[in-house]
Amino acid sequence: MENKKMTIGLFSGSVDRLTAAGVLISGAAADDMDIDIFVLLQGARAFLKGMGDTPEKLGMSENSEMKEEFLESLKKLNVMPWMEFFRAAKELANVKIYVCGLAGKVWGGEKVEDFDEIVDGIVGIGECITSMEESDIHLFI
Amino acid sequence: MDQEELKNLSVDKVVDARGTACPGPLLAAKKAVGEIDPGQIMEVLSADEATNRDIPKWAQKKGHEYLGTIEDSGYFRIFMKKGQ
Repeated sequence: MENKKMTIGLFSGSVDRLTAAGVLISGAAADDMDIDIFVLLQGARAFLKGMGDTPEKLGMSENSEMKEEFLESLKKLNVMPWMEFFRAAKELANVKIYVCGLAGKVWGGEKVEDFDEIVDGIVGIGECITSMEESDIHLFI
Repeated sequence: MDQEELKNLSVDKVVDARGTACPGPLLAAKKAVGEIDPGQIMEVLSADEATNRDIPKWAQKKGHEYLGTIEDSGYFRIFMKKGQ
């Protein structure tokens, strides 16, 4: 049986939404889904080389004044940092992460080498739309 | 399987995921099931209530056999047999 496919338009670059995205991706990977992630605008900053392991440099989309408590609580619960979810999902399933070309340029990332090594490439919006057309589930985060 | 049968099961792999919250135990179970052969038994230890609902459903969906759960003091022992 062919694997189901999930496509995510990942616009957010905030640590709370990235963590939620990581949890969702992990569940889909455990379910053997093929996953395409298209990193858009704000999201691209979080995938710049060196940013993934420094959640303190990222904002919070909600309850921003409670960011420290949020991060501390995740740590206490032994929840892995958001980037680790993405890395773990890549180990378990066919997960591809693409940065939108425009988004990369906004944050000074022109080439794939400017981003974390889990990024598979820089693409245009056409590829994102085609992936969404072909997927069973698509999400915008 | 009843509780007595589960307690007496010969387990091929134990995954201790008690230190992690959802989805940690599910990820650990997914990883570990790739390391055992079809027909072998795996036991997942989890202190996470959500995992106690997730793993049986996930196992059945992926063609494994969920055998049952023992609720121990403060954690769950979830048993499954790997499918073909």
